[in-house]
Amino acid sequence: MKINIQGEGAFASTLVTLNPGDKFVSESGAMYRSSANVDIDVTKKSRGKGGILGGLKRLLSGENFFFSTYETNDGQPGEVGLAPTHQGEIELIEMDGTTDWMCAGGSYLASSADLEIDTEFQGFIRGAFSGEAPFFLRVSGPGPLLVTAFGRIVTINVKDEIIVDTGHVVAFEESLDYELTKAGSSWIQSWLAGEGVVLRFKGQGKLMVQSHNPNEFGGTLGPMLPTR
Amino acid sequence: MDHRIICNPTYSALEVSLNPGEKIVAEAGAMSWMSTNIKTETSTRGGIMAGLKRKLLTGESFFQNTYSAEGGPGEIGLVPGSPGDIVSHQLDGELILEKGAYLASEESVKCDSKWDGLKGLFNEGMFALRVTGSGQLFFNCYGIAEPIDVEGEYIVDNGYAVAWEPTLQYQVTKAKKIRSFLFSDMLLLKFQGYGKLWVQSRSPRSLANWVYPFRPQQSNN
Repeated sequence: MKINIQGEGAFASTLVTLNPGDKFVSESGAMYRSSANVDIDVTKKSRGKGGILGGLKRLLSGENFFFSTYETNDGQPGEVGLAPTHQGEIELIEMDGTTDWMCAGGSYLASSADLEIDTEFQGFIRGAFSGEAPFFLRVSGPGPLLVTAFGRIVTINVKDEIIVDTGHVVAFEESLDYELTKAGSSWIQSWLAGEGVVLRFKGQGKLMVQSHNPNEFGGTLGPMLPTR
Repeated sequence: MDHRIICNPTYSALEVSLNPGEKIVAEAGAMSWMSTNIKTETSTRGGIMAGLKRKLLTGESFFQNTYSAEGGPGEIGLVPGSPGDIVSHQLDGELILEKGAYLASEESVKCDSKWDGLKGLFNEGMFALRVTGSGQLFFNCYGIAEPIDVEGEYIVDNGYAVAWEPTLQYQVTKAKKIRSFLFSDMLLLKFQGYGKLWVQSRSPRSLANWVYPFRPQQSNN
């Protein structure tokens, strides 16, 4: 399997070359091109544990409920091109199996079929306040994971503590603890500052943040459209 | 006629230098800046019917503008409606363009609509744009344009094909082993034959679908 991230900046996409026997998984809408010998299997089955409960949890999470699995069907190599919806970068995480990664809503793009994907409940209150779905995707096992973002992706090596606006979190190593907190010294000040709730990460691990907040963008465009 | 594509791939713009007497045709609305000695001529290029067909059937502009330099060399900047690549293609023969992909061309290139069949309903529309002739052609897309040499068969998701050579035929197909038909997003275009195909790395429709929930809710009273 060869993973090639094409194009930098706004319009990155991924071309995955599959050898016979290789299996690759993506969120179901991501495939935009493929060679004709690639089978596309749309399933709600989560990797490994999960089953029906996993599917239901994902449905609740507002995440794309379905995953697509790709493999070649004729013993020849094939290729699959994957593209996210938003303008932005794609980052490849080579997981070694020691630390799980947590992906925020919408930032999961694709991964090797060897990786397990599970939905992690953040708690409703937490979820409601973070402005994101109350779930993270927990990805575990050794293998490649692709995440996407709205804008640029910056990787931060957290050594102590850092505060990130909830809408800017892409993914992080689960060695990091996180809690929702206020940005200012008081809740009122936080709301006035337009920040409201932020995530405070603690511990040691990698954290990826995105330069732009998709919900802000949606909030800008939405009012210009006719009512639904 | 000299041209440069600047600020690519994200915010590509086409800059054309015209010597006196040289002309470039562009879709209406594409002109972003130009020297003061550039003369604009607006016409349907081929009569009202040609304009109507272009507008109604292919979603391109009713009028096309022809720009020429008078009394000395001049420059013009042409910019497509969406961010993304501009592809410069030396046309010799025929090329099929998806709706909205045409940006500009030399005068020798003709635009016409092509009946795409009912299958077009599942793609971008029943008519595609057929460009013919020999000369420089510029088309644009949303995202990065990638040329693919199709040898036999190739699959492209609905809405990502931008241009293809007429030696390629496509049919609308479904994902082969599909367990769930509930989410019917998996209508795919299967291109067959030998020729060049350009795909774009983003889909405007996918973005529109994403924005949809942000629309204001209609109040009940």
